[in-house]
Parts: sequence; C-alpha cells; structure tokens
Amino acid sequence: MPGGDRDNAKTTIMRKPRGWGVLSLCLLTVIVLALPGVLKSSFAIDILIRILLFAFIGVAWNLMGGYAKQLSLGHAAYFGLGAYTSTLMQVDFGISPWIGMFAGGVVAMLASLPIGWLCFRLRGPYFTIATIATAQVLMLIFLKFRDFAWGAEGTTIPNLGNAPLMMQFEAKAAYYYIALALLAIGLAITYRIERSRMGYYLVAIGENEDAAEAVGVNAPRIKRDIYMLSAFLTALAGTFYTQYIYFIDPATAFNFNISIEAALVSIVGGIGTLWGPVIGTVLLETTSALLQSWLGSSSGGIQLTVYSLILMAMILWRPTGIMGFLFEIYGRHIRAEPARA
Amino acid sequence: MGEALVIRNLSKRFGGLRAVQDVSFSVEESETVALIGPNGAGKTTSFNLITGFHRPDTGSVLAFGREIVGLRPHDICAHGLARTFQVAKPFGAMTVLANVMTGAFLRDKNADVARAKAREAIEFVGLSAKEGTAARDLTTIDQRRLEMARALATQPRLLLLDEVMAGLNPSEIDQAVALMGKLSKRGLTIVIVEHVMRAIMAVARHIVVLDHGQKIAEGNPKEIVENPEVIRAYLGSGYTHVPTPEAG
Repeated sequence: MPGGDRDNAKTTIMRKPRGWGVLSLCLLTVIVLALPGVLKSSFAIDILIRILLFAFIGVAWNLMGGYAKQLSLGHAAYFGLGAYTSTLMQVDFGISPWIGMFAGGVVAMLASLPIGWLCFRLRGPYFTIATIATAQVLMLIFLKFRDFAWGAEGTTIPNLGNAPLMMQFEAKAAYYYIALALLAIGLAITYRIERSRMGYYLVAIGENEDAAEAVGVNAPRIKRDIYMLSAFLTALAGTFYTQYIYFIDPATAFNFNISIEAALVSIVGGIGTLWGPVIGTVLLETTSALLQSWLGSSSGGIQLTVYSLILMAMILWRPTGIMGFLFEIYGRHIRAEPARA
Repeated sequence: MGEALVIRNLSKRFGGLRAVQDVSFSVEESETVALIGPNGAGKTTSFNLITGFHRPDTGSVLAFGREIVGLRPHDICAHGLARTFQVAKPFGAMTVLANVMTGAFLRDKNADVARAKAREAIEFVGLSAKEGTAARDLTTIDQRRLEMARALATQPRLLLLDEVMAGLNPSEIDQAVALMGKLSKRGLTIVIVEHVMRAIMAVARHIVVLDHGQKIAEGNPKEIVENPEVIRAYLGSGYTHVPTPEAG
C-alpha cells in the first residue's frame, strides 16, 4: 500500500479554509479561466486539457484509493464503460453524449457492484491484482465481440462540425472548459465528503478496517458506496475523452495506463488529500511533456527512462507525496494552532 | 435488574486447538465483571466471539435480550456493545479528535454534534490536551485512553475492555481504576480482560476464570483467590507450570 506506516501527513481530515485559502482559490480560478484566452498554441491547450482530465480521473480514484486506501489499478474499466456507453448511444441511436455521459456513469456504477463484490473479498495486493484483472477482462470482451461494438478496429465518432448539443466543438477552449468543469465537480464532491461522516469513515477504513468495524462502521457498505461514486466519475471522463479525440477502440478505452495514471497522480501528489491528484497531475504531465520535447526525438525511449527515474526518486524519498511534504513544512514552521479535524 | 449479557455454551475451535470450550456465564446490568486466566486461556477469543470478529462454532450470546451471534461487528456495536483491542488499533493518520469523532458518528450524523460528543469522551479519559495530535504519535497509555474514548463515543451500554492496564505503572493503574469506577457509577456494564490482580480486585464484583478454553471457576473476588483450582491454573501443581508466551 502506498503511504501506509510511512505516511507522515499530519492528518488526512483537514482544516477549515482560512482567509488566504479562499483568496488563493479565487486567484487560481481567475487564472485557470483566463488561460485559453491567453494561450495561442493549440499544443499547450492540448496539454492543459490532458492535465485537467487526468487530474479529474485522479480525483475520482483518490476518493476510494486515497481516502479509503483501496488501491485499485482497474479504473480503466469504468473509463472504458463510460466511453463505450455514450459512443454506442450516439452512433447507434443518435443520442447526445451529454445524456450518454450520465448513462455511462450509471452503467459504470452498476458494473462496480459485482466487481466490488468480488474484489473487496480480497485485501492489499490481492485486491489490486483483482481490479487489474477486471479491467483486462472487460477489454477482452470488447475486443472479441465484434458485432456488439466494432471489435478491435474501433470506430470514429461522426464529425458534425460545431455541434455543442452533441458535445462537439470547433474551438479547443470549449473542451478545456468542460474538463475544467468536471474537475471542479470532482473537487467539490471530495471537499464535501472530506468533512462529512463518510470522509471520516473512509479514512478510518483505510487506517484499520477492524477498528472501524468495532466502532460501528459498516465497512463493506461504505466501500461499495465510494466505489460506485468513483466509478461513476471515472466514466464521465471516458465519455469526454472519446468525444475529444473522436475515436474509440478497446485498446485506448480500457488502456491499462489510465488505471496506472489515475493512481500515480494521486500517489505523487498525496493520496487522501483534496488537491493531491491535481498537484500530482500538473507535475507529472508537465515533466512528461517537457521531457518529450527536449529528449523525445533524439533517442527513442530516453524520456520514458528519465520520467521513471523521477517517479522512483519521488516514491522513495517522498512517499506521502507533495501534499505530505507541504504538510510537514507547515507543521514544522508555520502551524500556530493544532490541526482541527 | 436485568441481564446485560448471557453467554451459553460458547465454543470455538481453530484447527485442532479448542480455544473456547462450552463456556457459559452472564453479566448483570451495571455490573463489572472480570474475565481472567493464564495466557492462552481463551479470554481474547471470547471477546472476539462476543463482538462478532469470530463466529462461534456453537453457543449463543444474548445481549440485552437479543441474540447477537451471526451479526457483524458494526451491528453489534450499534446494538450497544463497544470494545477495545488488546493491541491498540488507532486510526494512526487521524488526530485524536477525528478518531473519537469516528466513533461518535454512529449515533450522530452531524459533524458538529459528533465533534461535541467526541470532546466529552476525550475529556472523560483525560486526553483533551492532545486532541490535535495524530494518533500514531501518542504514547502507549494515551493510545489505550484513545481506544477507550473512541469506544465510549459510540455510547455503549456494555463496554468490553481487553487488557487496558497491561504495561501501565502503578499510578497509571490507579488512574485507570478510577476511570472504570466513574463509568460504572454512570450505570455502564463493563467486562474486562485483565492480568493486573490489584485492579481486578478493585473494580470487579464478579470474576470468571478461564483455563485452556474452559471456565474453571466463577465467583466474587474473595472466593476466587481462595479457589484451589484457580491457584493450580495460575501456578501449576507443584509450581511446574511453564507460562506460554502466547497472548491470552
């Protein structure tokens, strides 16, 4: 498990926002809203959209993987189900992806019930392996059953030009704002859960499931509920991504890298923290993009090696992620009053 | 006064080991009962059977008139039975307050109410000064206090304490005894597993003695210390008994 005993973050259930917190949040909002207007390069906006999207997937993963420490590496299952549900509805029945997006969310939620029922019987690494398997099995199903969903070739999404009602836009900025809205929703949900009974129960389960049961926490039900929410949100990202790249096939929709990325950005940023996945994504995506533009063309694969080395160093020396590091500094030098739970 | 807990013919085997064999005893409401016995006698197993962490092979447990065998630990807690663990299991990354709030949430969904109730429990066990400390940074005795506060925050009718005094120094034991006295005065029924005889004599009105998973004696403290069976179990016939290192 990431963190575990070495997790030094002072407390996962955090403090109330203070004046400067609100101020910096406002400032951040203004900057983030203005970015597409300032940036002219579509390459840059493309990277920003990726950052927002993966931050959102990370936030969805973090609800279960971070707060409750149920390390899933199978979230691609829900990303893919979301993507396929909305695409099937659009291509076969002409239903808008805006509706398909929520239908996909519901499908993912329903799928998480039997998957969770199976996987939650296992703990620790066995749970993780089981989640990987479920995503792979789903990918194989979509690969093999050609009549159902185009098989391995996949399909392109019919291009309708500028059709906002069908989630298609000529301006890249529109996609940027949709991804931003998704991330904002994910963060708002996390913020609310963190402060509610659910948040305390999740962290308690992650810390010690037996002790949580002993004080009346219905651990299986809480895990089931948060898995459903996490799956729902991840599926929204799947629909958005497919609409953005106008293409779907099992290898992209159920890509194992999505599962890894969802976990990685949270772990690097700081699991079980509100902003951890966002900080993690900004760091990882920028590093990866920069490395690619510096080293990418010179010798194949070198940028991946450097990227991996940075990751390893990060996990070795800062297992609590950037947020854990910040809390440590905060605790050592700045904290004037005890952390309020 | 009614009976808080009635245990009948409780048995549990782990492979070839009969951890608990045909144990029966009952606890009256507002009474404090001690479960004692040498290491490996089946005391902690009995706790696990009562609180739903293990399922007994046979036997029944009636708590406040309701059969609780087969219920999950959280249901049993909701029914009014709270326990502590022999090895404290705090939620390490959470503050003391957040730990206890987690218990308080059982009865109150609202975070502000739960916080207020949690603070009461924390004050009761004398941990108020450390409310903002992460649980993993507490000393052993403070972690035990925390366990007790967390259990109390669930507003139990019956409290099961598993060796809360192990490793405490004499003055700390006096504090813990005083704490149990206070709880008992409030009308709480308490079952303790304990090795510290001084404490048992001070708090328990009734003692149940287990050895090798079987009940060998039961009675008030005076009867127990004079019981030859009990003396044999603890010291061995001719003092040849070698204590096993295994935890009871």
